[in-house]
Amino acid sequence: MYKSEVGSDKSLIDRVRTREQQAMTEIFDRYSGLVYSVALRVLNDSGHAEDVMQEIFFQLWRNPDSFSSSRGSLGAWLLVVARNRAIDHLRQRKSGEPVDEAIVASGVNLQNETERSIIIQRVQGIMVDLPREQQQSLQMAFFEGLTHSEIAVKTGQPLGTVKTRIRSALTSLRKRLEA
Amino acid sequence: MTGPLHISQDDLALYAMQRLSREESATLREHLAKCDECRTELARLRGDLAMVAISVDQHPLPGGARERFMRRIGSEFTENPRPAKPAEPVTIDRPSRSRGAAWMGWIAAAAVLVVAAGLGFQVSLLKARLHERDSRIASLEASKSRAEQVVEVLTAPASQRVLLTGTKTPPVPTGRVVYLPSQGGLILQANNLAPIPAGKTYELWVIPANGSAPIPAGLFRPDAAGNGSVVLPSIPSGINAKAFGVTLEDAAGSKTPTAPILLAGAVPESGV
Repeated sequence: MYKSEVGSDKSLIDRVRTREQQAMTEIFDRYSGLVYSVALRVLNDSGHAEDVMQEIFFQLWRNPDSFSSSRGSLGAWLLVVARNRAIDHLRQRKSGEPVDEAIVASGVNLQNETERSIIIQRVQGIMVDLPREQQQSLQMAFFEGLTHSEIAVKTGQPLGTVKTRIRSALTSLRKRLEA
Repeated sequence: MTGPLHISQDDLALYAMQRLSREESATLREHLAKCDECRTELARLRGDLAMVAISVDQHPLPGGARERFMRRIGSEFTENPRPAKPAEPVTIDRPSRSRGAAWMGWIAAAAVLVVAAGLGFQVSLLKARLHERDSRIASLEASKSRAEQVVEVLTAPASQRVLLTGTKTPPVPTGRVVYLPSQGGLILQANNLAPIPAGKTYELWVIPANGSAPIPAGLFRPDAAGNGSVVLPSIPSGINAKAFGVTLEDAAGSKTPTAPILLAGAVPESGV
């Protein structure tokens, strides 16, 4: 009946470096749902979303050094990589920046399934509470991969307003999470 | 875009989302390369974006996705074994001959050596694969025999069961949940709970498997021995749970759990 969350992310990555398949399986079981869900939100196609998800975990298996604990928490890093890879897939292009080297500072613990579920609920609650125009600009930039100029054209708002809305949404999210 | 000192928050956020043009990104990268403060803020913004990402509705993986991944990483070992080290060349002394005849001999010898080296390489590759497979079979057989022994020890009626705990360390709080989703039936038995102040209570939560909000499943306070229980709380039936958690809340209880989670346990995928 009881399943404990065996192994911290760091110890799992260390074991993946020694080519231990079981450790890679544990990482996959822990985070594949999150990564797939993000890719699906961006691509709106289960086949393509699975391709992106499979590729991210396979590359982590081939090159576990692409992540190091100095880049932040594994869960947060995978979420950012998932979004960026899905956007690249959507736009059929290679990104200019090596996203895998991105440092992601996050104090949120995503290793434990219960904590993860509670954080998802909490963030969803905060996002719904944001002013509608902030939500819209952030969603367009983050999940649809539109540039601020494209969003400005689509919403009929000045560039500066679009930028401010995106930044304000992120600032509110951070403040509410830190409260 | 970059001020006299630092990059504006607006532009950093767009950069973190890779939504700036190549030229704008290049300008920012130049500044980031020499500014710790902006790099730190960029990392924090990426942490914020990870939280935006986590806000999406959660979906189960497509059927077979896990197996496809396992097969892919499993096949890596068999497709890319380490190549055997090629043999070192050997120098052979021969008596001198006319230049043309000598060259013909060398060409023939070189051809033979190339073929032989190729065959030798293939043979050693096959041997390495065979050896690897033999080792794996032996290892699987050993694991199987050990697994059978483990099952026998665990299931034999004559086996004795004793719980050992640390003698000097304080006992760790534990909880055992028995849950029958079809009836909404739930029983929690918790032990070694820390005492809690007046005005506070422990609260049990059901974390639904479909990603919806945690469901409050009863308040309880520990007795003097640190034991507490929840028996058949009023919760809806038919909720598949993926985990259970216990938090500390104000005496009246809460509608949403307050971090930290003091006790947590996930339901295995099989549900048993």
